Amino acid sequence: MLFKNPKPRILLILCTSFTYLLLYLPIIVLLVFSFNSEAFPSPWKHFSLEWYKELWHASHLWQAFCNSFLIALGATSCSLLLCIFFLFHLAQGGKVKHCISLYYGNIVIPETVLAIALLGFFTLLSIPLGLLTLVFAHTILGLGFAIPILYAKYLDLDPRLTEASLDLGATPFQTFCSITLPLLKKVLIATGLLIFIISFDDVILAYFCAGSASQTLSLYILSMLRTGICPVVNALSAILFLLSNVFALLFFSIQTRSKVF
Amino acid sequence: MNSSRYIPFTLGAPALIWQMLFLYCPLLLIVGTSFISVSATGLTLTLQKFITFFQPTYLYVIFSSLLLGFSNAFLCLLIAYPLAYFMASSRKHCKNLLLFLLIIPFWTNFLLHVYAWFFVLEKEGFINHLLQSLQIISTPIAFMNTLFATMVMMVYYYLPFMVLPIYFALDKFDVRLIEASLDLGATKGETFRRIVAPLSMSGVRAGFFLVYIPSFGEFVIPELMGGDKLVFVGSIISRYILGDETGSLGAAFAVFACSFLLISCFLFHLLLQRVTYALQKP
Repeated sequence: MLFKNPKPRILLILCTSFTYLLLYLPIIVLLVFSFNSEAFPSPWKHFSLEWYKELWHASHLWQAFCNSFLIALGATSCSLLLCIFFLFHLAQGGKVKHCISLYYGNIVIPETVLAIALLGFFTLLSIPLGLLTLVFAHTILGLGFAIPILYAKYLDLDPRLTEASLDLGATPFQTFCSITLPLLKKVLIATGLLIFIISFDDVILAYFCAGSASQTLSLYILSMLRTGICPVVNALSAILFLLSNVFALLFFSIQTRSKVF
Repeated sequence: MNSSRYIPFTLGAPALIWQMLFLYCPLLLIVGTSFISVSATGLTLTLQKFITFFQPTYLYVIFSSLLLGFSNAFLCLLIAYPLAYFMASSRKHCKNLLLFLLIIPFWTNFLLHVYAWFFVLEKEGFINHLLQSLQIISTPIAFMNTLFATMVMMVYYYLPFMVLPIYFALDKFDVRLIEASLDLGATKGETFRRIVAPLSMSGVRAGFFLVYIPSFGEFVIPELMGGDKLVFVGSIISRYILGDETGSLGAAFAVFACSFLLISCFLFHLLLQRVTYALQKP
């Protein structure tokens, strides 16, 4: 690339390291304070795991965690399933060129507007708000990522492979299951991880469409944030941070050079 | 025979039906309800709701939201471009590490980042401690509940949305183009301006809209970081929706504000096109 010469290079390195410092500074401060024996405004006393113990006994929080997990699982499987059907349709020569642009709207519309539109829709049809409505809502977000990504990846596939398979006597269904899907397996898994994490971390859709009875982890954290700083949240963040590390690592090892974003 | 031929084609339908049912129907619904008023005599078509929003207070909120979105996107661009450039021009394993480190915060619940910034910006927080121990300031500065805190959080949260598209645009860049330009006698600055910058514009455009549009409707970050003094479109919509009997007004306001957003997006699209042409000119 351009600018291999030292002077601008050093400037670029400085810029980058400064940005990464800003990116990680709050997380590190947060993690350090989760091991402090005293609550936040007081300075560092000594190392303790007492907030983790307290976190372990917070049953409401784990209930919310389970809800979030179920919703994310539901939304991921729903959108991947719909996407696989869509791909099968595409593989049989379905004409989708015009309707593919219909799926770009999902992530372009401000999430607040999507949320209130869905809220109005559910209220009109008198569908009770709860985990199920959130799965519906998150599937819309998931489709917005899954279909454009998989469509692009499908077009990159070599058509001769499926043609060969059909020529050798496989049925379209066999061809799809043993040629097309295995070729797209990596992208499917990576997209699934992406949808899972987006659904798991979603705040705005949950804020409007969850109803009062069901709580997700994000809503639980939001209600705790409103009351101020509480070291239990630090302990929780440490665990969630670890979790997202694992997810990102999985995502990366599956596909180092994926074009998911 | 005939029925088995139609099976694959009907399988394409579920995704489309889902999309229609849970995205376009709801959107049509809120656009529709914002033109309809319910009275004792029945439903009537009306523009009344929009007329009530044509007031300086509401317009001020909309324009401050547009400004918030734009300044957020602009600041993100300023930070993200050098970063993406550095990432794209570094060696492969370094590239992957940087990408990985960028994605981890992006994949962690953003409320936890808000929470983390509390620790940094509070009166007894990290920055105030640091400045006080360096004896730059004597009394702690109140960073929280200001526009500054909101902007820091917005840029922090939306940065990856800007970096990733620019990075992918720069990453698939053909290095031979640069060599050709340098061979033909252009200086490095000229090569950057006329070759690299215009060809990375697709990434810049994608990143700009990925940051601009969501930050227009953002209401959680301004509420948590900016306190109740800062009012943006998102906060007004959520107040209307969660209030009693004002749900339809909230929907109407969302439609009203989004029409401004659409117009501004179109203008920015034209502007970015102009910039691309201007860069390519000698």
